[in-house]
Amino acid sequence: MRPNAWVGLVAIVFGVAYGIQAWGLPRARIGNPMAPVYFPLGLAVLMVLLGAIVFIIEARKGLNSDDKSKRPKFHFQSMKLILFVIVLCFLYTALFDRIGFVFSTILFLMAMLLGINGGRGKLVKNTVITLVFSFGMWYIFVNIFQISLPASPLGIF
Amino acid sequence: MGEIFTHLLNGFSVAMTPYNVLWLVLGSALGTVLGMLPGLGPTTGIALLLPLTFTMPPATALIAMSAIYYGAMFGGSRSSILLNVPGDGAAVASCFDGYPMAQQGRAEAALAMSAIASFIGGLMATVAFVFIALPMARFALKFGPAEYFVLMIFALAATAAISKAALLKGLISLIFGLMLTTVGLDFQAGTARFTFGIDELQGGIDFVIVIIGIFGIGEVFENLEHIAREVVKPVQTKFGKIWISMEDWKRSFWPILREAPVGFFIGILPGAGGTIAAMMAYNNEKQISKRKDEFGKGAIEGLAAPESANNACSVGAMIPMLTLGVPGSGTTAIMLGALLILGLQPGPLLFEQHPDIAWGVIASMFLGNVVCAVINIPLAGLLVRVLSVPGRILYPLIVAVAFLGVYTINFAAMDFVLLTILGFIGYLMKKFKVPTAPLILASVVGQMMEQSYRQSMMLSDGSFGIFFGSPICLVLWVLAIGSLVWPFISEARAAKKKAA
Repeated sequence: MRPNAWVGLVAIVFGVAYGIQAWGLPRARIGNPMAPVYFPLGLAVLMVLLGAIVFIIEARKGLNSDDKSKRPKFHFQSMKLILFVIVLCFLYTALFDRIGFVFSTILFLMAMLLGINGGRGKLVKNTVITLVFSFGMWYIFVNIFQISLPASPLGIF
Repeated sequence: MGEIFTHLLNGFSVAMTPYNVLWLVLGSALGTVLGMLPGLGPTTGIALLLPLTFTMPPATALIAMSAIYYGAMFGGSRSSILLNVPGDGAAVASCFDGYPMAQQGRAEAALAMSAIASFIGGLMATVAFVFIALPMARFALKFGPAEYFVLMIFALAATAAISKAALLKGLISLIFGLMLTTVGLDFQAGTARFTFGIDELQGGIDFVIVIIGIFGIGEVFENLEHIAREVVKPVQTKFGKIWISMEDWKRSFWPILREAPVGFFIGILPGAGGTIAAMMAYNNEKQISKRKDEFGKGAIEGLAAPESANNACSVGAMIPMLTLGVPGSGTTAIMLGALLILGLQPGPLLFEQHPDIAWGVIASMFLGNVVCAVINIPLAGLLVRVLSVPGRILYPLIVAVAFLGVYTINFAAMDFVLLTILGFIGYLMKKFKVPTAPLILASVVGQMMEQSYRQSMMLSDGSFGIFFGSPICLVLWVLAIGSLVWPFISEARAAKKKAA
């Protein structure tokens, strides 16, 4: 399907889902009861309308008549790398408060550098960057900006 | 006139405190480096550095952000000249003649001219800013909630309509941004909206998370695609004397002076940004030049004109943000958002209630231009070394900085989840060529817009007539509709011209 048709379709689905939620919002007790609903409902209607216009324009051109080489490509290798970073981000979220900023960042950054920069022959470089960044940022934020960051259960950093 | 000079002198006394000067210099240097990095540019740069400003006094925060902005505008052209890879859209036109100049062994003249033209363009625009700011802010005092609502519609419509090809997708992006701002507690009724029982969402989705996610993380995800095939181009880091000849100066002098006002006025218009200003300046000069055939082959005026317009544009873009409180671009939207976090409401009242801040920032624009020129001419050789850092190392560091920055907003690690999801949405938007700037603008002004809307509805007892009740509203509606229709008219005119 044409890339823009996908955009239109997603907009319609999202707009309908948002609109249903908006319709269910509590009504105002003072003044016009619909006042809190108008704005979000208006957004939902506009989203569905715009999505429908985009989809219809694309459908009239023929949904599959486009140059397929120009469609967005999702290569397996790059998607694997993006997914890897996303999983690391979620793990970082889980560890951040538990083991503190410095240790969770060391693990997060080291894993990212190993995955993206590679490990063979670059281990020393990756380790130095990770340690300098994690301890450096800790020092700057805690001592210079005086912003407290989660500390580790060890009591240091 | 006397009043303006008194304010400006006071502004200089604010901007020239050692702490503010320190941040002016640091901001200019950081901005130059971030602006240089292809794929990052000023918007992402400011977004990433935004949390740094939360601990600063408001005047310093705004001065630092402005410095980052100008620094990024100065820096954006470094990679255009040396690598033929623009740091951001506004630096695209600098590739046309800047890169051929570097190829011909004239990188020194190109680097110097881009900094000199940026300096003069920025300075001329700042002088114009000084005289326009106060009358504009006073005029804006006439705006009520209905006028503000329609003004925001105009700003959003103009941003979404920036390209005809993506007009509808721009509007979808805009509506999505507004939808994000409706998440959280309803500020009037006090009820939770679209939180799905998740307590962390009750405070709403902070627009800083939206900006860093969509721009910063989205950009990194997109760049990860190319990382496996990444080849770091060798960058020239040794230079002779970075300066221009008399002949270069003579050729560039008038183009710089002619194109600065063009850039400035484009900057004031919402939606149109540095890219349009620079391209328009380049085309203008090419059309009137006696050496048309040299353009694209290393004509120095072909570099000077867009650089001047681009910097003048970045100054002009600050006018609606500071005087009306309505940003006209992604970058100024971020700056506006930062001020809201610091408890300030940019707009006409800023000039009345906090003249020290408003004029301190204006004075810092003069100083910032000088600092940026100093950084970019003698230190060019040192700064461009950052271009040789491979993305494989840079991007993981950017992700880590982004997470750290987001943590400082609410001190909640749960925001990381939102950041990651928004980053992936930003990546998909880029893949499907859905413009992201309207979303950013909407996420910053969305809440103000809904507030203005509901205040107007309360004032009018539920009648929509209030949005058409004043001449200001009507003019703004005409502008909003005009900005949506204009791309079609100009295309039809171009087609007609071509046919003739």
